[in-house]
Amino acid sequence: MSSLSSSLRLFSPKLRQTFPKSPFLPSKPFFFSSPISFQRLPRSPLSEPLRAQQQHQRQQREAEVDLSVLPPRLQEIIALFQTVAEPKAKYQQLLHYGAQLPPLDPRFKTDDHRVRGCVSQVWVRAFRDADDHAAVRFEADSDSALTKGLAALLVFGLSGYPATVVASVPPGFVHLLGLQQSLTPSRNNGFLNMLKLMQQKALQLYSEVGDSEINGVSESKGSNSGAKDGVLDDKNTILGEKTDKTGKDSIFGEVSSANWSGDSLPFGDLMVDGHGMNSADGVQKSSNGGIGGRRERIRQRLERELSPVELEVEDISYQHAGHAGVRGNGDGETHFNLRVVSKEFEGKSLVKRHRLVYDLLQEELQSGLHALSIDAKTPSEA
Amino acid sequence: MMASFCHFPASPPHQSLSKLLSPLRRPRPHPFLPNVLCIFNPNRNRIRAGSQFRRLSLSSSSIALPPEELDSSSLGDLTRPDFPILHQEVNGFNLVYLDNAATSQKPTAVLKALNKYYESYNSNVHRAIHSLSAEATDEYEQARTKVAAFINASKPKEIVFTRNATEAINLVAYSWGLSNLRSGDEILLTIAEHHSAIVPWQLVAQKTGASLKFVGLTKEEVPDIEQLKELLSVKTKIVVIHHVSNVLGSALPIEDVVAWSHSVGAKVLVDACQSIPHMVVDVQKLDPDFLVASSHKMCGPTGVGFLYGKSELLSAMPPFLGGGEMIADVFQDYSTFAEPPSRFEAGTPAIGEAIGLGAAIDYLMGIGMQRIHDYEKELANYLYLSLLAIPNVRIYGPAPSETVHRASLCSFNVENIHPTDIATILDKQHGVAIRSGHHCAQPLHRSLGISASARASLYFYNNKKEIDVFIRALKDTIDFFISFHGTEGL
Repeated sequence: MSSLSSSLRLFSPKLRQTFPKSPFLPSKPFFFSSPISFQRLPRSPLSEPLRAQQQHQRQQREAEVDLSVLPPRLQEIIALFQTVAEPKAKYQQLLHYGAQLPPLDPRFKTDDHRVRGCVSQVWVRAFRDADDHAAVRFEADSDSALTKGLAALLVFGLSGYPATVVASVPPGFVHLLGLQQSLTPSRNNGFLNMLKLMQQKALQLYSEVGDSEINGVSESKGSNSGAKDGVLDDKNTILGEKTDKTGKDSIFGEVSSANWSGDSLPFGDLMVDGHGMNSADGVQKSSNGGIGGRRERIRQRLERELSPVELEVEDISYQHAGHAGVRGNGDGETHFNLRVVSKEFEGKSLVKRHRLVYDLLQEELQSGLHALSIDAKTPSEA
Repeated sequence: MMASFCHFPASPPHQSLSKLLSPLRRPRPHPFLPNVLCIFNPNRNRIRAGSQFRRLSLSSSSIALPPEELDSSSLGDLTRPDFPILHQEVNGFNLVYLDNAATSQKPTAVLKALNKYYESYNSNVHRAIHSLSAEATDEYEQARTKVAAFINASKPKEIVFTRNATEAINLVAYSWGLSNLRSGDEILLTIAEHHSAIVPWQLVAQKTGASLKFVGLTKEEVPDIEQLKELLSVKTKIVVIHHVSNVLGSALPIEDVVAWSHSVGAKVLVDACQSIPHMVVDVQKLDPDFLVASSHKMCGPTGVGFLYGKSELLSAMPPFLGGGEMIADVFQDYSTFAEPPSRFEAGTPAIGEAIGLGAAIDYLMGIGMQRIHDYEKELANYLYLSLLAIPNVRIYGPAPSETVHRASLCSFNVENIHPTDIATILDKQHGVAIRSGHHCAQPLHRSLGISASARASLYFYNNKKEIDVFIRALKDTIDFFISFHGTEGL
């Protein structure tokens, strides 16, 4: 069997055999391959070991992708691609997806929605799901059919999920499609830049949770500039301020900004904002559990759910006193440093750990908690 | 447009080798360079017995002997064995490399020269007394002499080694430009210039208050020479112009442009990146003030290029980069500088690479630039005609004719299909490497009304068979997308 599978790998590297979690793949897809097994003779002694090396690298990369972080619809799409053995058919499949993408309204074909660095023109738009406010939906378009296909994959695979789920999708999943899509960050990498922009936009929406209830203005283009400005290098500091906030009149809280600079996705300290309350609106900060005592509430919640070996909750709101975002919240309780060491984090990626903590502290985020800096470790790591 | 190329002399699909070696086409012997020929045909695995046939490759430096009779093969067939990189598969298909305007491949001779340098005599140049350094210095300066001979410069010291043509243009812009341009002065360029020829002048214009003027295209899609003549004035201080366009495939009458420019007192900088690798370029005949080229487009390694400048000009120019090598004496608060070319070669140069460039020049001279040019003219026409025959393909630049010779490249678009899509499927489904994008010529694309184009560019080691593969692959690719779109717009 192993020789058959290795020869299969040589001419149909797209097939993956190890997919225990996905219900959509047939268990032994060997029948998709050609009955005749042959190897192409290497042209020169130089290229053969290189090819074998590349094959090996590709298999390694595919194996590294953790399927469980991928939203189910994306997993379905991946599975579908995997049933298509021939590269040409895969590209047809891609074009097919692209054709299903509805054209983007021209008013969204602006610089703000444009994916930078593509030779073709690509636009991406993120908006909140009308029925489920925690979910993000996407729209996209491109003048290149293949890029449109990739955009469609992302749109169909990621729409309807919470922003944190979208943000934690590793670009490496594309290896599983067998399209030989490069993930080398470069200005020419349309796919990578598209995914990053979608994740960035999703997180921006997520940070404005609750805005649409207070004010009918939907996510504005203006808020995007704040996100770009507030890039921070220091792991322990909180987010940059919004530049255009005018205090009483503005209803937007501080906009989240993960470290988008360079090529890395925000798998490090992912910061998420709660919504800042405005005293002029008369909406009080922590409506649940009384004023003050947020620190206690955070402690209790985390202790109950995570049984941490170590837990530190530090209120550093004073560092942000005087911010536009904090104005009106004179007694702090807006910015916290968290250090949590817990067995619950074992086997979870950094992003999943953070997500776990945010989910536990949702109420606080909704009621005046602006930002958290989270240091999440397992007992063995600490 | 269609009628013009009918006049073009039809060439036989295969040239017999004896014709290639006829006295008219024998490479011009050059005082500095060895005279070698390649007679090996890889496609037919026979080696003729008999004393008339010697199997040689261009990478050796033995003297060539003309065979009496051999199977006819093109220059492309003859030289292919010298380029190991061409013999590989990509995505399961034989590689067809048609992106030579972006960079060329290197023959074994150049690879060997690089290796030999690092294995036998790598040492810093112009500095030490010891033997290795002396040898390295000799070879490095010998490379400079080769470059000078290659373009028929009168003195090797008129050749300044740089990192590439882009750096050479920056050198002129910052050194000559900053000290010679003033507010009100004009820099004349064409709309088809490469970004490397435009941006340095934009930067310098901002600092000096000079302004840039652009010559547009004629309806044949060639820079408008008449308009250039009109735009030339006493305010023009320098004309920055390409010899051969990397998008349009057109060549400009440099001799004339230089004559007109000099008559108004303007200098001329010629961007010869796309001409020097493909044809005879004689700076004494063309008479530019500056000329730039990159090694990597002419079978040489990356990391080295050169600026040719008339010695009186270079002598008057202040340094560009400061550091070791370009100085005479260094004190605490000032330094005095070396004579050109050293004045413009700060720091340790790309020694091995310059020597590699020298080896590349040897190789090219061994074939003969005129022979390369003639062969590529055939390829150019074959490519153009083959592309033209495909429906819905729009080629940019002039149509070839008796008087208009195109370079062996075609930038094109297929109606309703994005060039990136074309290039992707050509690569993934056919192993054909072309380029898609703006080819570092955004102003040109904008003036053509497009955002991007696809480009296939050939070199002397390509052949008509490869063009056939490309054309078949392109048709297949177009079908792939059409069958998908249905009858939409087509």
